Amino acid sequence: MLSWIDRWNRKLHTYAGLYLLLFVWLFAVSGLLLNHSAWPAAQFWRERRQERFQRRVELAAAGAPLERARDVMRQLGIDGEIEWLAPRPGRFEFRVTRPGRVANIDVDLTNGVAIVERTTVNAWGVLNMLHSFTGVRGGRPEALRDWWLTMVWSGAVDAVSAGVIFLALSGIWIWFRSGQRRAAGLAALAAGVVACAAFLFGA
Amino acid sequence: MLPGETNNKRTLARSVTACMRDVHLLGGLFLGPLAIVFALSAILLNHPSPAPDGAGAKRSEAVRVPAGIERLEGMERVRAARQILDQLGLSGEIGFVGLNGRARTLTIPVTRPGWEFTVRVDLERGQATVETRRRGLADRLHWLHKLPGPHLANIRGNWILTRLWRWFADATVYLLLAISATGVYLWALARAERKAGLALAGAGAVTLIGMVYALAH
Repeated sequence: MLSWIDRWNRKLHTYAGLYLLLFVWLFAVSGLLLNHSAWPAAQFWRERRQERFQRRVELAAAGAPLERARDVMRQLGIDGEIEWLAPRPGRFEFRVTRPGRVANIDVDLTNGVAIVERTTVNAWGVLNMLHSFTGVRGGRPEALRDWWLTMVWSGAVDAVSAGVIFLALSGIWIWFRSGQRRAAGLAALAAGVVACAAFLFGA
Repeated sequence: MLPGETNNKRTLARSVTACMRDVHLLGGLFLGPLAIVFALSAILLNHPSPAPDGAGAKRSEAVRVPAGIERLEGMERVRAARQILDQLGLSGEIGFVGLNGRARTLTIPVTRPGWEFTVRVDLERGQATVETRRRGLADRLHWLHKLPGPHLANIRGNWILTRLWRWFADATVYLLLAISATGVYLWALARAERKAGLALAGAGAVTLIGMVYALAH
């Protein structure tokens, strides 16, 4: 029984590692850039492209804000995750975000003219935005995922995270069952546990 | 090639493999708990719960306000604020130092894993009010995942433990890259897993590229 578990654990460790390889690299490298905003690759915001245009739109007089916003986006040919801005009288404003692009949409309720300010960033900016593109914010419970691709990406984040946890635990199992490098392995594992515990509970 | 040369090559290949195996094994064992911290916190950040309501415990104390703190900017102002925190017996990462010139007050949010302090300083009276909130495990994980981070980078890492954690976060990334590279090398040696491994690596790459393309275009 245990040898069957050992064999399949080793296979799944290998398979999960290979399938998740590029996902893990994406989150690792983007995380590094987020912690080092002075690095040249993290300076993508300086090279952003901004454009501004306006177009007349048909804005429904009534209806849920989400549906009205989606209708405006459809007319403007814009897709992405909606973020609500502080409301102003006489305006219907919101922001649409997707990795690499942010569009501020401001509809004048008196004349139905939508002013769009769109910002586009380079590949480093896309990488940066992918790291934290979840469609939700901790301090804003009213912000919910409203774009299907955000839900897909959020699911991928969960899957990659679960995969990493599996890789860590299955790796520990493989080492434990192999009986090799016991002392060095125990020292390495203990060092990692102590480091985490020190920051989590000792800081 | 002479037999001696072939033996040397085999010995070298075995040494390289053994080295790769050690990096993968020992690096993986050290990295394991760190990787679990980041992965767990990623899941929690992906599914945030509402922030707990209610004010925290409050206390007031007289403090000596560093002269000219209102005129300071950036890290200089943070260092001056740190002097106020030292008098209050507080330590942690200073989020920012907000000045209300009209009311002549300073607001200094301070965080450390599991703790939030909001310090309000009345510059005229030299009086500081400290509001303390205790947070749970999830918040501790959030702190570790998000700090130091990209926001207000010119003052970030103003607490020594944040700077130390930045080092660990970087080490996590570099070790992860090394472990994945050695993992690929070790997999490539195992002929039995070649086909399945290639198929899965390809499937993972196609999945990621497809998702990123759909998101970004």
